[in-house]
Amino acid sequence: MLFLPLLIPWLAAIPLVLLDGRRKGVAWLAVGALAAHLAALAVLAVRVFAAGPQEAVTGEWPPGVGIVVRADALGMVFALLSSGVLLAALVHETVAGIEGRRFPAFVVFMAAGLTGLFLARDVFNFYVFFEVAMISAYALSTYGGQAREAGAAFVFAVVNLLGSFLFLLAVAGIYHQTGTLAMDGVTTGLATAAPNAALLIAVLVLVAFSVKLGLFPFHPWLPAVYIGARPAVAAILAGALANIGSYGVLRFGADVLPAQLRAGSVALVVLGSASIVYGAVQAIGRREAAEVLAYSTIGQVGYVFVAVGIGGAVGLAAAVLYAVVNGLNKALLFLSIDLRGWLVGAAFAVGAFSVVGVPPAAGFLGKVAMFQAGVEIGSVALVALIFLGGALSFLYMFQLYQSDFWAGTREVGRSAPRTRVVALALAVLVLGLGAWPEPLLAVSRDAAAALEGTRP
Amino acid sequence: MTLLVSLVVATIFGSGCYLLLKGDLFRVVAGTVLISNAAVLTLIAAGFTRGAAPIRPFPQGSQVSDPLVQALALTALIIGFGVTALLLTVAFRVYASSRTVDLDQLSRMEASREDELEETED
Repeated sequence: MLFLPLLIPWLAAIPLVLLDGRRKGVAWLAVGALAAHLAALAVLAVRVFAAGPQEAVTGEWPPGVGIVVRADALGMVFALLSSGVLLAALVHETVAGIEGRRFPAFVVFMAAGLTGLFLARDVFNFYVFFEVAMISAYALSTYGGQAREAGAAFVFAVVNLLGSFLFLLAVAGIYHQTGTLAMDGVTTGLATAAPNAALLIAVLVLVAFSVKLGLFPFHPWLPAVYIGARPAVAAILAGALANIGSYGVLRFGADVLPAQLRAGSVALVVLGSASIVYGAVQAIGRREAAEVLAYSTIGQVGYVFVAVGIGGAVGLAAAVLYAVVNGLNKALLFLSIDLRGWLVGAAFAVGAFSVVGVPPAAGFLGKVAMFQAGVEIGSVALVALIFLGGALSFLYMFQLYQSDFWAGTREVGRSAPRTRVVALALAVLVLGLGAWPEPLLAVSRDAAAALEGTRP
Repeated sequence: MTLLVSLVVATIFGSGCYLLLKGDLFRVVAGTVLISNAAVLTLIAAGFTRGAAPIRPFPQGSQVSDPLVQALALTALIIGFGVTALLLTVAFRVYASSRTVDLDQLSRMEASREDELEETED
């Protein structure tokens, strides 16, 4: 049961690679596989939320020899979000007409990699699945096949490879210090290790995930890639792949290395704040939609870092909630930038309201959770920063909306009515989650409660 | 031994960084290959134990070397190999569509393409 959501995309992707994804039948086959995967994930998630974490060991080996797979609330939230965004992007591209042979296969492969990563309970398998997802992303970023996409893909692959190697160095350090790779063992092992070595490992892990997320000082690759890639690919990168970074910071920061997180919480808050301000200011100065959204992404991940830095039950729940809402927002916005028509304008406006944090869009919940976390630690500066970030994002989102939709200057893009279905469905989802917030709030509380860092 | 390996890793990592900073697509790929191998060597060095090869039946009384890091290094090598192949393909595709491997020239071409786009918009 636990392996089903992992095996479905894995087994489906292998034959799909051999088929021509431009044919409608093949693309819908991939959509079917991804939908089955999402359904299996949903069944597993219901079980996890009702009965607590589920654990299994591959090949019925004793734990410690076999690979341990464990589904807890945090992993499930991110797995559902990522697979949902992947499915949305794949359906969007299928309806509009896929232009690359391997596009559907790599989307399905990425679902396998991401799900494995969210379920992995040891550090090295986390790395392996992380690479499966990243390699699919490198291949996906060449989608379109023009010089522009290839150039973006090259930058993307080189920078993120360096991030991966930093993580590999951290894995080596963890094994050297603790003699184990199981996440539970690492926490206890590092408690007795030399504090400097443990801190060095934590810094390596933090930098590796910051590179993936495109946090402020590690961001220069991100705008080039998001502008160069096709909108569907940008939606996948911002809505699904970036979850590796948010999940990684939460899992490694608050669960595996909680003592080191406490020591470095100020650094996280400072980096996150810098990212919020930098991303917003840069976004205001841009005109092209993809460029504005790319810098907005840099700003939005800053909130996740600030929330993780604040820590505790409230802060971590805010981080989960913000990451989920941000993933949905970015998927919606990127999928709607290559469409036109007034309905798309409405969907885009919902996404824009959600980024700004205006009710009833789901982004409001994220902002409220951040305010709560700021008030919890009694920091006026943080509350002011969150307010400033919101105001700046209002400026750049509506500047973009005005120049792109109101002025009627948008001539590029697909105009067939059926291509709008996915963007509209995502807009309804964002509104729905905002109008009926209880499930999302409960889920993010559960997810945060699964972390070591919320225990005193 | 640890010092020697550290020096080797440092040299390889440094050479990799040097190549990364060169303005040439294929030198950048070579740089990432070197850095990936530096990471794999670190992984092997993380579990340094002297001893016989860890193959059953184990030799009586003597220590065996740690097999886990070998398995990890092997996996990491394979991943690195696959990614390198992918990177070379992408680099070749950039070369095939723009006929240059010089990064400065590529960014100039990108800039001029953007200018053309803006002119056609106006």
